[in-house]
Amino acid sequence: MSTNPGQEAAMAHDEHAAHEEHAAHEDAGISRFFFGHVPEGVHGGLKQYGLLAIFLAIITLIEFLIIVPEGLQGSGVVIAPLVILSVIKFFCVVAFFMHLKFEHELLWQIFVAGLALGLVVALSLVLLFGVFRPTPRAFSEPRQVPFEHHVEDHHEAVARPLPDELPPPADPADLAPAAPAGATAAGASPGQTLFVGTAACASCHTIQGVAQGVLGPPLDGIASAAANRISGYSAEEYIRESIVEPDAYTAGTADGLSQDYQQGLMSATMAGIVLSDEDVEALVEYLLQLR
Amino acid sequence: MAHADTTHAPPAHPPAHEEETTTGINHRKLLMWVFLGSDCLFFGSLIATYMVYRGQSIVGPYPRDIIDVPITTVSTFVLLMSSFAMVMGVAAARNGNQKRLIQWLWLTIVLGSIFIGFQVYEFNLFRVEGLRYETNLFSSTFFTLTGFHGAHVTLGIFWLICLAIVAARNPAGRPSHLDVDIAGLYWHFVDIVWIVIFTLLYLIGGFDGPPEAGHAAVQGWNWVTGLIS
Ligand code: HEC
Repeated sequence: MSTNPGQEAAMAHDEHAAHEEHAAHEDAGISRFFFGHVPEGVHGGLKQYGLLAIFLAIITLIEFLIIVPEGLQGSGVVIAPLVILSVIKFFCVVAFFMHLKFEHELLWQIFVAGLALGLVVALSLVLLFGVFRPTPRAFSEPRQVPFEHHVEDHHEAVARPLPDELPPPADPADLAPAAPAGATAAGASPGQTLFVGTAACASCHTIQGVAQGVLGPPLDGIASAAANRISGYSAEEYIRESIVEPDAYTAGTADGLSQDYQQGLMSATMAGIVLSDEDVEALVEYLLQLR
Repeated sequence: MAHADTTHAPPAHPPAHEEETTTGINHRKLLMWVFLGSDCLFFGSLIATYMVYRGQSIVGPYPRDIIDVPITTVSTFVLLMSSFAMVMGVAAARNGNQKRLIQWLWLTIVLGSIFIGFQVYEFNLFRVEGLRYETNLFSSTFFTLTGFHGAHVTLGIFWLICLAIVAARNPAGRPSHLDVDIAGLYWHFVDIVWIVIFTLLYLIGGFDGPPEAGHAAVQGWNWVTGLIS
């Protein structure tokens, strides 16, 4: 169909004239219908459409036969032939059943534009997640920062420590302005320094103005809450047990928290962190101030 | 309608009531094609979502345990034949053959309903075998995509039933050729979407199992279990 326009027009004219003599618009002649230039006003009939339907059915059968051998099922070699066959089917239906071949060019431009956009969207998604596969969880989970309203200290940069590159002990002076009731303005208590520093508690727990971990329950007000966790335990006993033996009790929704926390998560991490008795006492003392 | 010497010749059989438009294309027909173009995007996104999550389910049943390619080949064939019946209905409407039109319309409706019957059977079988919407990535993307396609087919069936009823009640040229033609465009579109789904989800993806070792999904899973143990 790469004849030059003049020639084509002449041919079309001839065909048109010839056609008018022979046939009603019902029958455009089979090969002309599928491959040739079909004069305006000519549509297929039972013969053309029937033939096309048989052709499409045969393609479907071939597609099925391709994946009958067990060795080919799910193998990569069948992908190309299957895709090619279904693309042929696709365009046959669009061109002839939907008679787009014989329509105003604007119509197929619209359709092809939609189709192309759809393909681009699909392809980009598959490339993004299937080929250039980022691992969003592993990357972002340790870095996620919970949403917070920074009313006064919005200039303060929020730096989240990674679990595997634990932060240097925070400079107490930085923390002091936002430190909660209990921490003196003069400087952080030894417990708080441990909390954000070598004891690594900060990577999992949130304390307003001190730490922003999300894997464990927030510890603001833990001193009051701790007294009600296990009956017969004082706040101090509960907090101490939570640190030295985290699995003894797992806090969760039953305690009025927003979620059930992962049993064993804290103990697994604490197994790699050595805390002396004094460290534990300092931490308990610090947490007991968080009323 | 446009003059004979304009670049765009008028459609073959302009219905008497057709109005002149700047493009020479009937507005309703144009609207249908625009809609079909945008529906390509809709299904394109759903298909892409399926492909993105393909082979990443970490619990069964996996496609290979549950997808039945032979049965779906039959239902694909049925839908294809319904397209053939539809196009014959459009041809009958163009020739003003009301009786044939009604016959072809009902054949299309019956074939479309058989297709839906296959889908209901399939969905139910999946449910019984333990594949529910929320079971795994495969099930939720599969049901979303094929479910929306089934909804399109169902809508088309209702549309065609309406046309068949109108045709039976008004022997005098209603529904017009254009009415049938536009419904036909929609119906064929649903067919071509299925051509794509059948190839990707059944012929190619139907034998997928759990992710292979080294796959991102497995690594992610190991990372999580590693944290806990
Ligand atoms: C790997 C993350 C992680 C680290 C590190 C961690 N915790 Fe926890 N913590 C948790 C989780 C998860 C829970 C809830 C489940 C449980 O009790 O085991 C929890 C519970 C607690 C509780 C009880 C909370 C309540 O509401 O009942 C306290 C107190 C506590 N942690 C203190 C600490 C202290 C002090 C440190 C530092 C020495 C620390 N945690 C380090 C994850 C962690």
